[in-house]
Parts: sequence; structure tokens; C-alpha cells
Amino acid sequence: MLRLEGVSFSYDRLETRSRPAVRDCSASFRPKQLVAITGPNGSGKSTLLKLVARVLAPQRGAVLFEERDIREWPPKEYARRVGYLPQDPDPAFPMRAIDVVVSGRAPFLGRFEWESDADYDEAGRALALCDAAELAERYLDEMSGGERKRVFLARVLAAHPKLVLLDEPLTALDLSHVQQVSALLREIVDRTGTTVLYATHDLNFAAAYCDRMLVMREGALALDAAPSEVMRPEVVRELFGWEARAVGGWLVPRV
Amino acid sequence: MGTLALTAGARPRRVAAAIALLALLLLISIAAASLFGTADVSWRAAFAGDRTARTVLLDIRLPRALLAALIGAALAAAGVTFQTLLRNPLADPFILGVSGGAACGAAVSTALGWARIPGLVSLVAFCGALAATAAVFLLARRREYTDPTRLLLSGLVLNALFSAIILIAFALSPESDLASAVRWMMGTLFGATWSDVVLLALFVAAAMIALSVIANDIRMFAFGADDAKSRGVDVERVQRIGFAVSSIVTGAAVAVSGIIGFVGLLVPHLIRLIWRRDFRALLPLCALGGATLLVLADLASRVALPSSELPVGAFTAILGVPFFLSLLRRSR
Repeated sequence: MLRLEGVSFSYDRLETRSRPAVRDCSASFRPKQLVAITGPNGSGKSTLLKLVARVLAPQRGAVLFEERDIREWPPKEYARRVGYLPQDPDPAFPMRAIDVVVSGRAPFLGRFEWESDADYDEAGRALALCDAAELAERYLDEMSGGERKRVFLARVLAAHPKLVLLDEPLTALDLSHVQQVSALLREIVDRTGTTVLYATHDLNFAAAYCDRMLVMREGALALDAAPSEVMRPEVVRELFGWEARAVGGWLVPRV
Repeated sequence: MGTLALTAGARPRRVAAAIALLALLLLISIAAASLFGTADVSWRAAFAGDRTARTVLLDIRLPRALLAALIGAALAAAGVTFQTLLRNPLADPFILGVSGGAACGAAVSTALGWARIPGLVSLVAFCGALAATAAVFLLARRREYTDPTRLLLSGLVLNALFSAIILIAFALSPESDLASAVRWMMGTLFGATWSDVVLLALFVAAAMIALSVIANDIRMFAFGADDAKSRGVDVERVQRIGFAVSSIVTGAAVAVSGIIGFVGLLVPHLIRLIWRRDFRALLPLCALGGATLLVLADLASRVALPSSELPVGAFTAILGVPFFLSLLRRSR
């Protein structure tokens, strides 16, 4: 359903001063996959997600969604199928959670159309799915970082996208919610056939729930493999510079 | 939050009710503005054929009240558009150098002695506003889309430059023309004519239509340009249209009345505190709220002292600020 073909992007347009943020990435994704994108800070995870979300356009290479270059998709059509959660979304003015979530239905609305009751029902269900139903009437600025993350996840899910792109959805969550959201992503993938790509630093949780892990390094795809191949001390030392040891399939710090 | 939260539901019917309420308020304000004034005239006398009453009511007070409404609507609509697109609660219709450019045009044309040609100062002011906006955009342009922070900074810095030019122009202006230039800088609706009303009505109507067409896209800027882009919004195009339309309608309002502050900043915040944060609802509500506020402020500035007229911009603040502060204290 999604294919990256030699995608490169540099924030410095002339590509002279700095290395590209993403370079020559190729990969393809089937429906019904839960994929973690990992890698050190600044390795290009966010940029890669933005390229797939059409926030940025690749300078070289192409992104194909359902065998069609995403530049050729009408923007609203694409937005109905592909949901993207930026790393730190924050409304400029105070907003209630339910209004935030219902705005996820925007790609389905006509130019002068308002959200219908059905859209609000959809938003309510998405909030419940993310264990955030009780937050519906509350304002975003009086929520904790983790609560806010769940509201924004609900906003993405309210559109029922076929492809979900999440930029670090698990940061700021407490451990029980990391597990809960990870399990939720797994469930969405299994039940609806959605493909979810999410950036994360938590290798252990990623390995426990994902079908596949991508490891990025200096803008390139250094490894694209099953979790079992990534979760080895020698691999994480090489790719992350992390000194770890394996204990029962988990990686723990070597102290 | 209490009662405020109850009214915060985003449904067209509630918005329509709020629009109807504000429209009624505006009509009452315009009626009041045409009834009260220093001259003692009545509508009954005007209908009975009293020439003076007719002139005062139909050719002085009514066009003036309508012009105030149009200017208030223009400034508040431009203000809420800038605040939403720039994601900045401090943005106002003058932020992009519109006022500086207009004032600069007015000051320089006064210094050149053009104040004696009717309408010329207004025309130069309008051109100044547009030129300043264009300059700010060119300065702020960067990569894929216009960066809000750079836009705000460019506007601020250019406004400072304009202030310097205005001071120099004033120093060089003929003494006799200075009073009118200063009056223009303070903003005044004195001498409003029907042709002003018709001209500005065209600008305001066109701007409201253009902004309504892209309102559903503008509201998606709430979470930033990247988010809007991923939701299928043509960010670049919506920004360009939104900024251009708001700047032009502000320029037109400024050319007619001079610089009237506070409306564009105050009204959107007032409406947000009472009703909603959704741009689709904010746009018509702000236009009506701005219109009402300026009609009332102009009425107050006319009748406060029997002998002279006070700057209307001062009264928008005097009427709006206490109301605003009390709401701010009661809200979250």
C-alpha cells in the first residue's frame, strides 16, 4: 500500500552545507502492519514521517500510496486515507478535547459544511478507544502531556485512515498508558487492517508489539527487519551506541 | 468556566442564534447613533419635511454610523484572520505594517502639500498600506510557506521604520496641514459621506465572501501549518489569500477613517471569551461585534463633550477594555 522509492530530503535546499535529513530511503509496506521507526535523535524519523504525510515534498525519489505518487493524490482524498500526528501539536487558543477530535473529520467536510452529529459520535468513539472518553469536555491546556497525546491520537483515528503516521505517540505517557496505547495500535492494525508507522525510542515496547522495525541512522535506513533481529546487544551498540545486554528477550542497560 | 462552557458547542444553529443576536444589537446601535447627537433633530421632523433634520439624519449621522459599522467589521474580521493564521493572540490588523504603511503614505503626502486635494491623502495611504504588506511578505518568505514569526517580526521592524519617516514628514509639513494629518493618525469618522459607505461596503462584502470560502481551511491552522497540510489544506494558498484579503480590507478602512486601534485586537478576544474558538463562527461574529463596538464608540466620542469631538479610537478602548477585563477574570 505504501512504497518509498529512493526518497531524499534536505532542509538546506542547496544540499551543500549539511547532510540531507533523509537520504535514499526505500521500503515498502503492506496493509495490516505495525511498524516502529527507531533511531537516535536527529536520524530523520520525523522528516521521513512528514514526507509520507505530504507535509514535506521529497527532493529526490517518490512516495507511492496505493501505487500512485502521493503528489498526484488530491490533498483531501489523501488526508482521508492517511492520518498524521505531529510530535507536539498544540492549539493556539484553548480548545475542548471533543472539538479537537472532531476536527479530525475535516477532510470529509464540504467547503461550507459543519460537523454533523455523526461526526461527533465518531469523535466520541475515537476518544473512548483511546481511553479518553472522560476528557471530552475538558480543555487541552488543563491536561497532562499524556492525556493530550491520547486526545490527539483519537483525532487521527476519528477519520478511520488506512495508513496512520505517528510521531512519537508514546513519549510523555506513563508506563501503563505506553502499554495501553501500544496494545491499542496493535488492536487497530489487527482488527481494521490499517498500517501504522510510528516513531519511538522505546525499543522494548516496540519489539513487544510490532511486526517490523526500521532503524534510521544519519538519514538513511540502516536496518529494516523483524524485532528479533534488531533486539540484539551487538546491533543496538552499533546503531544506537547503547551498551545493553539481553535478558529473556528484553534489552536492559549494562551496569 | 461554568456558563461559558455551556455555550461553547460548535453547532451551526447556536452560531446562527448568536449571529442574529449580534445583528440585532448592531441595528439598535445604528438606530441609537442616528438618534443622538449635538444637534436636536428627530426622525419625525425629518419625515415632516424639515430640511435641517433631513440633512443631519440622512446625510450626516446615518452614513457616519454605517461607515463606523463597516470599519469595525473590516478591522475585527481582519484581526481574527491574522490571529488564526499566525496562531498568535497578539496579532492585530495592523501587525503586517498595514497601519505604518498607510500612515506613512498619509504623512508623506501631507508633507508634499497634497492634503488640499480631496481624497488624495486617502488614496496614497491605501497604496502605502498595500506596499507595506507586500514588503513584509517578501521579507518573511521562506521555503515552502511563510513563517509566522518572521512575518510578525518583519511587520514590527517595518512599522518602526515607518514611524521614523512619519516624524520626518511631520517636521517638514506645512503648519496649516498638520492638524488634519494628526486627526487622521488618531482616526476619525468626521465628514463621512455616502460614497465612502458604498465604496467600503464593496470592500467589506468582497472580503467577507472570500474569507468565508476559505474559513474551513483557515480554522485548520489551529494546530499549525504542518498539521493543516497533512489534513489536505493548501497552506500556502490559504495563507496568501487570507493575509492579502485582510490587508486590503484593513487598508481600505484605514484610508477612509485613519488609524483606529483596539477593535481588531479586542473584538476577536471578546467573541472568543463569550462564544467560540472556531474560525467559521468567529468570522461573522467578529465582524458584527466589531461593527457594533465602533458604532457605539463613535456615538460616545460625538456626545461625550458638547463642544468638541474626541478620538474614536480612544473610545473603542474605553468601552471595550473594562468589558474585556471582566470577562477575562471570569473565564478560565
